[in-house]
Amino acid sequence: MADTTLAGKADSEADPPRRSGRLAGFLHRSETARGYLLISPTLAIMTVGIIMPFLILLVLSFWTRQGFGFDTTPTFNNYIRVWTEPIFGALLQRSFWISGIATVATVLLCYPMAYFVAFHVHRNKMLWIILMTLPFWTSYLLRIFAWKVILGYEGVINSGFMAMGWIQAPLEFLLYSQTAVIITLAHAWAAFAILPLYVSLEKIDKSLLEAATDLGDGPVARFLRVTLPLSMPGVIAACFLIFIPTTGDYVTPALLGGPDGAMIGNFIQLQFGAVNNWPMGATLSIVLMLWIAAIALVFLFLTRRAQARIT
Amino acid sequence: MDILDQLGAVREGKLSRRRFTQGLLSAGVAMTMVPAGARRVMASEGDQATYFTWGGYDIPELFGEYQAKNGALPNFSVFGGSEEALTKMRGGFVVDVSHPCNQALPRWVASGLFQPIDPSRLSHWADVMPELIDLQGNDAGEGKVWMAPFDWGQSSITYRTDLVELPNGEESWDILWDPKYAGRLGSLAAGADAWWIGAIKAGVPFDQLDTDEAFEKIAAVMREQRPLIRTYTDDTTTLEQALASGEMVAALTWNSSAALLRSEGVPVAFAKPKEGALTWVCGVVIHKDAPNIDRAYDVIDSLLSVETGQFMINDYGYGHSNRKSFDSFDEEMLSGLGLSKNPIEVLQAGHFQIPQSQDWETRMNELFEQIKAGF
Repeated sequence: MADTTLAGKADSEADPPRRSGRLAGFLHRSETARGYLLISPTLAIMTVGIIMPFLILLVLSFWTRQGFGFDTTPTFNNYIRVWTEPIFGALLQRSFWISGIATVATVLLCYPMAYFVAFHVHRNKMLWIILMTLPFWTSYLLRIFAWKVILGYEGVINSGFMAMGWIQAPLEFLLYSQTAVIITLAHAWAAFAILPLYVSLEKIDKSLLEAATDLGDGPVARFLRVTLPLSMPGVIAACFLIFIPTTGDYVTPALLGGPDGAMIGNFIQLQFGAVNNWPMGATLSIVLMLWIAAIALVFLFLTRRAQARIT
Repeated sequence: MDILDQLGAVREGKLSRRRFTQGLLSAGVAMTMVPAGARRVMASEGDQATYFTWGGYDIPELFGEYQAKNGALPNFSVFGGSEEALTKMRGGFVVDVSHPCNQALPRWVASGLFQPIDPSRLSHWADVMPELIDLQGNDAGEGKVWMAPFDWGQSSITYRTDLVELPNGEESWDILWDPKYAGRLGSLAAGADAWWIGAIKAGVPFDQLDTDEAFEKIAAVMREQRPLIRTYTDDTTTLEQALASGEMVAALTWNSSAALLRSEGVPVAFAKPKEGALTWVCGVVIHKDAPNIDRAYDVIDSLLSVETGQFMINDYGYGHSNRKSFDSFDEEMLSGLGLSKNPIEVLQAGHFQIPQSQDWETRMNELFEQIKAGF
């Protein structure tokens, strides 16, 4: 054993060290190469897990369904259909509407919570944060079913209101509606708003607030002129973190949406399932991606300008 | 290897870099090994056949014989609609046994994903009613069949007898189109049931479904119904719960929903609509690459057994393919369930589904999904 390793070493001494030396030298000289080497595991995962599937999706979107298989002549027909048939536009619009409202509601509801912990809690802050994110330790599906129980026909809200005599018949718009989807999304994604908001509020230098008070700002003016602009990065991050994934959400509308609450994610799933039109599903996914990217860019641009005006 | 007090070392600030890396490595290796351990435990169960079936068929009551022979239940995977199931298997999902219905059978066979069943390997085959074997597209040659018939029944209206007022005192499909009950009606989501009901309602005979005119007529009927529907779902439990609470007064369901609700004491009836119910026969097929072919036959044998049949009739209200299963029930009880010892009588009294082409199926699903989305 020891002999062979020694022999092997002796053999390789002639050439390889120089080669590895050359490699090391190359790495030493080129900063770019070193950078790529460092991120190579991540890069490999990204390539296999994101870029490859995306390319497959892209190619698929230019094909056509043909019985059980695909007609592989490239064509823009799927994109033309998405553009011309009203159903796709309407579903996209509805998805953006629902997730837009859910995003605004989530951020508005979570801002006070994050604000309170950042400014008024002085001990055990971590405990507070953990307590606020506690509901998110349960499965997403469980939270959806919990809302089904709360909003249902014989659910907590309806039976409570009926017992108090506020309503005669159960409120039916609570479940199987866009309202149900918005409420559930706003609750289910709250953790993704609280954390970035808390971090950005926590970072604010308290002496700036004191300075504002000294210079004559009341609490409201102080909030609008100092706290809010300085916490904008957190608000923007929260908006992105919620808006992007909820637009394509599939489970929530499928279980709580009813006929009028279906979103684009449900339709994409159907293309890969019952409707059996994978190219169309691929096209819809890509169109959705492009729309989200466009909306995100516009949003970023607007907030940049607003921030520039404030500061 | 010497054992170090790692925590103590950290506290004293004496943990060497090498020790730290070793600790990380062992944690990493341990994490990677966790699923490997679990997999080995699963493997002893994994030798069982996998049965890919409709929700509600994944219960031990149907597999008494299988369990007695193999000591465990088969593995289950559940689907909500048969198109979804076919798409999943075409995408590479390999199972041993699956569960299509007569209307989908020729298309399933055409996909080339299934192997003929050799009846000589099934101990209960002699008792299976020949009328149910003799289905369109079921003959695989050399005395073999593609699908072993298992259950048969109807798609009809389950309605609350205390909340629904029958139009002219007759049970009719009009209940599901009655604006009086807007927002309190439910429907199965799959076109494989709902669209055919639309055809019955629109008065289109099943042998003329594949025409533009038929599509237009049925689509018009489905669009008329859509605003009245509270929710479309493939999950029968959702419909059953809604019917039990009174959230829905009537819904398109299979036999089992009505039977289950009645056994819970909910005042429901499974309608015999004057226009005729939708009738079907479902059965089991074997995947061509079935990894546990012997156990696949055990699954089928167990499903065809008399004990399973009695449970299916008594608890689910479905017809069974084994004629001996009916022996312990009297005619009165069977007709109360909408069943009979002579299946043809029931199947022909309703509208029996006829297989359609793949193009028709795709076109129908595409159109129906658009209608459900509100277009």
